[in-house]
Amino acid sequence: MTGLQQREHWRPTCSMGVLEAVILRSFGPEGGQVLFTRDTGQAMLSRSGTRILRALHLEHPLARMVVECVLKHSTVTGDGSKTFILLLASLLREIHTAASKEPHVSYSYNSLEATEAATARHLADKLLAFALKELDDLIAMEVAPHGCCISWEDFSAETHSPAHTNNHVVQKLLASFFHMRLGYVHCAFISELTCELLNHWKCIDALPSFALQFLKNNFPALHTPVSGFPITSSRLVEGQVIHRDFATPCPQTDHQPVKAVVFTGYLQPRSLNTGDVIVHFSAWTERSLKCIIAHLQSLGISVLLSAVKQSAAVLALATQAEMCFVECVSEDELSLFAQLSLVNKHLLLFNRYVHVAFHNSEERVKAKPCSLIICGPGEGQTDQYACAFQDAIPKRTVQSNKCTSSYTHNLTDSSTCTSSNLHSLHKCVLQPGCVIPAGGTFEFLLNHALLKLSHSCSASNDTNIGIPVSRLLASALLSVPKQIYSHSPGQFLQTRTRNDMPSKVFRQDLGLESVSCKYQLLLAVLQCVTSLLWVDTVLRTHTALHTQSLADASWESTEDEAED
Amino acid sequence: MSRLVKKSPSLCTDRPLDNTDISNKLNLLRQLLKSCFGPTARLKQVHNNIGGHVVTTSSSSVLLPAISSSQPFINLIKTSILNHVSRFSDCGLFAAIFCLALIEQAKRSGLRENVSIRVNKHLLALCSSYLQQEDCGCKVKLDFCSSHNLITLARSIISSKPACVLTEPEALHISKLAVQAFLLTVPCNSPGTVSLGKTVTVCVEGYSVLTSAVFPGLLVDIPDGLCLNKFDHLSNPIQMVLFGASLAGDLSDLGDGMIEVHAGVDTESQILDQLLELGKQVVKDEVKLFVCQKVVHPVLQEYLRSHGIIVVERVGITIMEPLIQLTGAQPVATLHTKIPSKAYGKVRELSMKQFGSKTMLHLQPLGESVICTLILCHRNETMLSELKVVCQKTEHVLRLTLREPSALLGGGCTETHLAAYVRHKSKNEAPETASVLGCSQTEYLLGVEVFCQSLESVARALQHDGGNSLVDLTHAHHWTLPADVLEEHMEDSLGFCGCGLVESSPSRRWIFLDTKYTEFSPVALVGDSPVQPRVLDSFTATLSALQVATETANLALDVRYIIQDVN
Repeated sequence: MTGLQQREHWRPTCSMGVLEAVILRSFGPEGGQVLFTRDTGQAMLSRSGTRILRALHLEHPLARMVVECVLKHSTVTGDGSKTFILLLASLLREIHTAASKEPHVSYSYNSLEATEAATARHLADKLLAFALKELDDLIAMEVAPHGCCISWEDFSAETHSPAHTNNHVVQKLLASFFHMRLGYVHCAFISELTCELLNHWKCIDALPSFALQFLKNNFPALHTPVSGFPITSSRLVEGQVIHRDFATPCPQTDHQPVKAVVFTGYLQPRSLNTGDVIVHFSAWTERSLKCIIAHLQSLGISVLLSAVKQSAAVLALATQAEMCFVECVSEDELSLFAQLSLVNKHLLLFNRYVHVAFHNSEERVKAKPCSLIICGPGEGQTDQYACAFQDAIPKRTVQSNKCTSSYTHNLTDSSTCTSSNLHSLHKCVLQPGCVIPAGGTFEFLLNHALLKLSHSCSASNDTNIGIPVSRLLASALLSVPKQIYSHSPGQFLQTRTRNDMPSKVFRQDLGLESVSCKYQLLLAVLQCVTSLLWVDTVLRTHTALHTQSLADASWESTEDEAED
Repeated sequence: MSRLVKKSPSLCTDRPLDNTDISNKLNLLRQLLKSCFGPTARLKQVHNNIGGHVVTTSSSSVLLPAISSSQPFINLIKTSILNHVSRFSDCGLFAAIFCLALIEQAKRSGLRENVSIRVNKHLLALCSSYLQQEDCGCKVKLDFCSSHNLITLARSIISSKPACVLTEPEALHISKLAVQAFLLTVPCNSPGTVSLGKTVTVCVEGYSVLTSAVFPGLLVDIPDGLCLNKFDHLSNPIQMVLFGASLAGDLSDLGDGMIEVHAGVDTESQILDQLLELGKQVVKDEVKLFVCQKVVHPVLQEYLRSHGIIVVERVGITIMEPLIQLTGAQPVATLHTKIPSKAYGKVRELSMKQFGSKTMLHLQPLGESVICTLILCHRNETMLSELKVVCQKTEHVLRLTLREPSALLGGGCTETHLAAYVRHKSKNEAPETASVLGCSQTEYLLGVEVFCQSLESVARALQHDGGNSLVDLTHAHHWTLPADVLEEHMEDSLGFCGCGLVESSPSRRWIFLDTKYTEFSPVALVGDSPVQPRVLDSFTATLSALQVATETANLALDVRYIIQDVN
């Protein structure tokens, strides 16, 4: 069924160049948005690397493998996909140049190409080995001292002193994230809004991670996209917004608590039994409905929420009983409502939606429920902002987990690529929660450290494998800040010289980055490089179409090759 | 088995603003919308390729949905503007022209996109805060004690839509009606949260615009005119009942399951008996008006009529809400239970009104009610549909004034005034602002020029007959010089400025809008002048349009890459 159709030589550098070109458009502070339209015609906007890569529908199986690696990495750290591609491309270039300059002598191949490929493979292996062995120590010694540590306590301390919010690390971390995801213009506004949202949802009793998890799970029900307004109209409203209008007239409640009940099924009996006379049946259903409504009325209930559309008779009877009905409420919203409605609530009509405000008097819930209204001129933008919010919350989770749990299992789930010796990561001595100013600081510092290492090694005439590779890695690292300051080379040099002098004064306006995320990123990239270079041939096979698509088939054969 | 097709790779466009195809399309869109702007706009006819309905219009809410582009970049801008229009009903063309001008000028200026975006954002904040200031030179406080300014506001909107084809007195008549209808929907004495009523618009074709009228209460169309009973005998108030369910005797809404029909049992007659039972109760409860959203069974209709009850059927879902508000009735949807007495509604008076071919039943409310009916007449269907759209927009804009009782000077004066203000303000603060925004002073001033010229290009877009746009150097208002006037006779032929607040005088100095002038602080004159402005724009809608346009332009400048999934 599968037949060998075509053999082609894989040139990683040129394929990666194409990916890099797309990513560069949205990379760094000068980068912009990428607009993409789905096959449904719906438009989406994004600066998120993962979304861009997913939207590309790449054909080459190895390019797809790279994308797979990036996605796996960014689900762990919530960030870094664009840097991943940049580093990968620049590493491949460096390796290629190094390999073409000094072909490895210990192998004898019949073509120059094959020799180069072998050298490249060898270099990649050495790089990975070097990184696994020495990189964590190097970062801990040379980079981490320049950063500072944040913890969940900082985050909670902020709630007590809102005056200091502006110069706080957490907000900076968020601002840097939103800057990368949404652009400069609204990042300050949005990060402030996020902090406010997080503070509102912070439970006093429960663990902080609980509140974050809750927010993450209920985000679809907690935000309301509104298009046609400027973004600066986005705000928090207290209570929950149910995205439906009243089906029956809404009474004026004057902020009095009201009782509500939730239905998931039909109130009117809907199945006929054989033998029922139709007229009698409908008379009976109406009578039973009347009983239900009368019972609800006796319980003092005045708001009915329903997951399904009820019949006209139900609505009419409810109106006569002065109850208001909200139909077709989504599952998410109902479950959120069920979790929150341990307390009384009152109702307001808001922007054609039902807005439920909860009374805070009850002691069981310490958090202040509130939901987020995201405004934007168009649907594409509100979607983008909603996604960014959603991604910001797990990022916080990652951060807080690192702060609260012991560091031994921090990095266990960083298995982005299929590599065997990840267990060595456990000896990592990096302090969790360590952050460093963004804007290429990490890269500059590590570059400096790596160069120092290679100098000292060559000075002591030690034939360590780290000598060529550390220099190689150092120059590959520089590609990131080069792109960040691509619009003004002067600033690049300026920042570089500033960072080469070890001092604690950094530009604070660019935000913060997590050092351990960066370390994981480097390892993931190196593993990806190795696995890319070990592939020498891609076999394209054709399969008769049944359950497997063409793409799947060719993907499998590539894996086989890779394992050879 | 599903068909498996290999996904084709996405279509990519790098740097869309540098793409000639996209810039041509943007330019075309700008020219198109520019020609639709203002009272002397050129009209557009929209018709589809299968010979459908032809629409003549110049309003953005009709025109923009008709423009479809395969280019997602164009659609991005289009949807932003449409979303604004759906929220504020007004200033759609303003937003579109300003946004497209900003994009084009920013591109032409050669500024880095990020610098443009930052400067635009800063200037937008400057404009918004100026417009919200008490002493803003282009804002007029609306006084609800007099309807004068409200009518001016309404007339500015109505006369900016030439597709309605209204003469001067007709436009004034419609403006007055719009304000009257708006005032009728505002409740007079209800404490607490105010909920506005509803204007129901009825269109009558073939009559002069001047026969249009507003009635308090509700006019319900009676197609067959069968209920021409005499209304004199009806005692006051008139008891009525409102049905939301079908009374045709059908078996809808019954649910799932097996239906077993027994031989000899006539289900239909059983249901009809049930309906007549209902009829008996209605008669017994002295109901005089029987309204049903859906169809009423002819036998039941006949029965009710024979008892002197007026039956109105098929009123439709749209009129149910105002009917409930007007009569206080609760819609009944149950056929087998007794109608509770509180479900009945009350009407003060019933009368018949004849408008052309339409016979309508006029329901007058018992107490004060916030429901009114606007009868719009026009000579033909196309003009009438445009007039209806315009009246609905006017109502919305008038409602917006309740939240923010202000209006902006129209006729392009707000735009030129704002531009002059921004130039003056940013020139003075250039060094500090440039360092905050992280760009050089030259870049900043270039960005300011882009923003101001884009604003002024909106004012210029009002002119379609080859005339020149001028700005005076005291108040920075907008003036129009007809094409055939020589420059030495300028002050005689200028008359008044665009909004009608400033009159031409020999001491005044003007300059053409597209020439550079030394910046100055524009003098405000609202307050000390007895003259009332002749053209006013909605404050809320303009402010939001300004924000949406700038944000959309910023977004467009920020898009560096387009990926189109073509599967």
